[in-house]
Amino acid sequence: MARVSLNNVTKRYEDVVAVDEMNLDIKDGEFVCFVGPSGCGKSTTMETIAGLTKPTEGTIRIGETDVTNLPPKDRGVSMVFQNIALFPHMDVYENISFGLRLRKYDQDEIDRRVEDASEIVQLQGMLDREPNELSGGQQQRVAIARAIVRDPDVFLMDEPLANLDAKLRVHMRTELQRLHKQLDTTIIYVTHDQAEAMTMSDRIAVLNAGQLQQIDPPLTCYNEPANLFVAGFIGSPSMNFTEGELVDGGITTKHFDIEFDTAELGVDPGHEITAGVRPEDIHLTRNDDDIDHSSEVIEATTDVLEPMGDEIFVYLSLDGTSGSSMTSDEAASAANQLLMSVDPDTEIDEDESISVVLDRSKIHLFDTASGDALAHGVVDLSEAERTKAAAESGGQRE
Amino acid sequence: MATTTESRSDSTDSDDGVLARWTQGVIGDDEKRARLYRALFYVASAFFLVTTLFPFYWLLVLAITPNSSILTGDWSLPVVGIEFPHPQGFNPEAFVDVFQQVPLHLHVFNSFVLATATTIIVLLIASLAGYVFGRLEFPGKGPLMLAVLMISYFPPAAFLIPLFDAFLGNAVVIPFLGIELFQPPRLVNTPGSMILPFSALFMPLAIFILTTFYSQIPDGLEDAARVEGTTRLGALFRVIMPLSAPGVATAAVLTFISVYNEYFFSSIMALENVPENWSPLVGAILSYQDQYTTDFNLMAAASIVGVIPILILVIVAQERIVSGLTAGGLKE
Repeated sequence: MARVSLNNVTKRYEDVVAVDEMNLDIKDGEFVCFVGPSGCGKSTTMETIAGLTKPTEGTIRIGETDVTNLPPKDRGVSMVFQNIALFPHMDVYENISFGLRLRKYDQDEIDRRVEDASEIVQLQGMLDREPNELSGGQQQRVAIARAIVRDPDVFLMDEPLANLDAKLRVHMRTELQRLHKQLDTTIIYVTHDQAEAMTMSDRIAVLNAGQLQQIDPPLTCYNEPANLFVAGFIGSPSMNFTEGELVDGGITTKHFDIEFDTAELGVDPGHEITAGVRPEDIHLTRNDDDIDHSSEVIEATTDVLEPMGDEIFVYLSLDGTSGSSMTSDEAASAANQLLMSVDPDTEIDEDESISVVLDRSKIHLFDTASGDALAHGVVDLSEAERTKAAAESGGQRE
Repeated sequence: MATTTESRSDSTDSDDGVLARWTQGVIGDDEKRARLYRALFYVASAFFLVTTLFPFYWLLVLAITPNSSILTGDWSLPVVGIEFPHPQGFNPEAFVDVFQQVPLHLHVFNSFVLATATTIIVLLIASLAGYVFGRLEFPGKGPLMLAVLMISYFPPAAFLIPLFDAFLGNAVVIPFLGIELFQPPRLVNTPGSMILPFSALFMPLAIFILTTFYSQIPDGLEDAARVEGTTRLGALFRVIMPLSAPGVATAAVLTFISVYNEYFFSSIMALENVPENWSPLVGAILSYQDQYTTDFNLMAAASIVGVIPILILVIVAQERIVSGLTAGGLKE
């Protein structure tokens, strides 16, 4: 068990910067997920921690030791790989005990540890099997057993569940959480699946283009994204964004305005901003949802419905055109579109005219140019004004 | 093809000729097609078996035929009258004579030692080279590999005279300038004078085989081994090499057999054809021929004796060689 800290770690290849001045402090016993799109540098960052790749600049410390120039074997880390990477020429016992045998533990100790590890991952009775005789889930459990048997300071997991089928993935996710509770070891977990990141981790590190965007507990990343990238990346389906402008006493966008006290934002009127709202924070006025701070009413036409079973995703068209106009400029149509999620028992049809409101406490404002978050929730209107705004039909905005 | 020709005539195409009906049958009828394939398989196998085994048959015939009968040169079969190699008399003493006239076992031993030592050296160095070429990216990799390939195209005879000169213990001098570089040890008549050039000559092929095999091992396995506690070198010997066993076996067998059969270098580096000078098996076989007589039966018998160690080796390693030559793929 140990803390891991990255200090200005940069990995530069000939033509790309894979990791750009990464500063990261992972606490002892913490479960941290690295998420980000493909090629964002999350695997490279993990490889620098494992020692498989040497950073171009910066230092890495595990515990109190500077491990920047140590080979992987001397870092006290163990790793589970995306492609599982069991040694095909060894049986399960030999795979699990590989590291111990290299370190010349005595046979009794090896047997005891392999026994313990295989018990933790429920592999008893399979120690003499060959890896290719095991199912995908069992192979992954062997890989995890191989990682825990050495009792490392830090576990590194590089998309360990990516090659498993959906059902097994959910199951193994729970097992990994149980394992973390049981072992209480620092775990660094790389994934592009935000469901994994949200459910398992203590903190999520969102990476993009080799740079750390935000490192916070999952719900903080969800509710208070630090910038446009995090807002768009965390959450599925992703947040709706509308570009607009800051005016005196509120913001104005193409389709709706929101009034609030802009003094606290610290930017001047006329500034380009982007408003973001999650699909579940858009509400049908006729549903009469109990929202404390609703925005003005927005008129929209439903476009495509996507019933998911537990909710329905509704694509709303704001300029009155239906899906047939989608062939025109993609960006323009995206700007005129909102994605809303409603209860599965809502009666709603395609091409229906509806009115919706936004939950003002869940509206995020971002600086369009820098992408940085300016505010999460705009609710400083007085109660009377809010009621007035809600009572008026949406006509006022034109 | 007698087995597949079917005389049954179909009512619909009874006008067609025999060949047309047979072709139709093979195309339309699975059973007939399977029979044709089986027949072709037997014919092809028989052809390869005869072409590979006939030389051995001939060797055996020569070995047990007394030399006097061989020298008459008449191989007509007793009744038929066609010329065909067949035993004329039975003289198994040839297999004893070969050891009495020449210490054949010592020559076999020499060849075996030379081949084993060369194989070990080649595998060791070619493994390192194969790892570097197959798994690492570095500037100059392409030109370096091309250089290895180029050197392997040099005719071995081109190296012979300078090497012989050096192995005699003469000082190595820069041509035309006459500057003496160093005085090499006198290596003629020692295994060193043979193993060194052999290793150099057979190294490129082994490097190419191993490069191909090592490059196919998934990176994840090497990474896993390194995280688990090996160095890069340890990962090579504990994970990459065992998983490339077919390739390693192929390189080893090719090197071993080439050295075992080698005569050109060894006949010159061993100044006399005696086992004390590390003269190899082929040297012994040729020593049954002298100025006045040529004991063909003894040469044949010695050849058969010489084949035995290789035969044992191939049978033991057979499975791996075959899979190494055909497959090479590895599932993770």
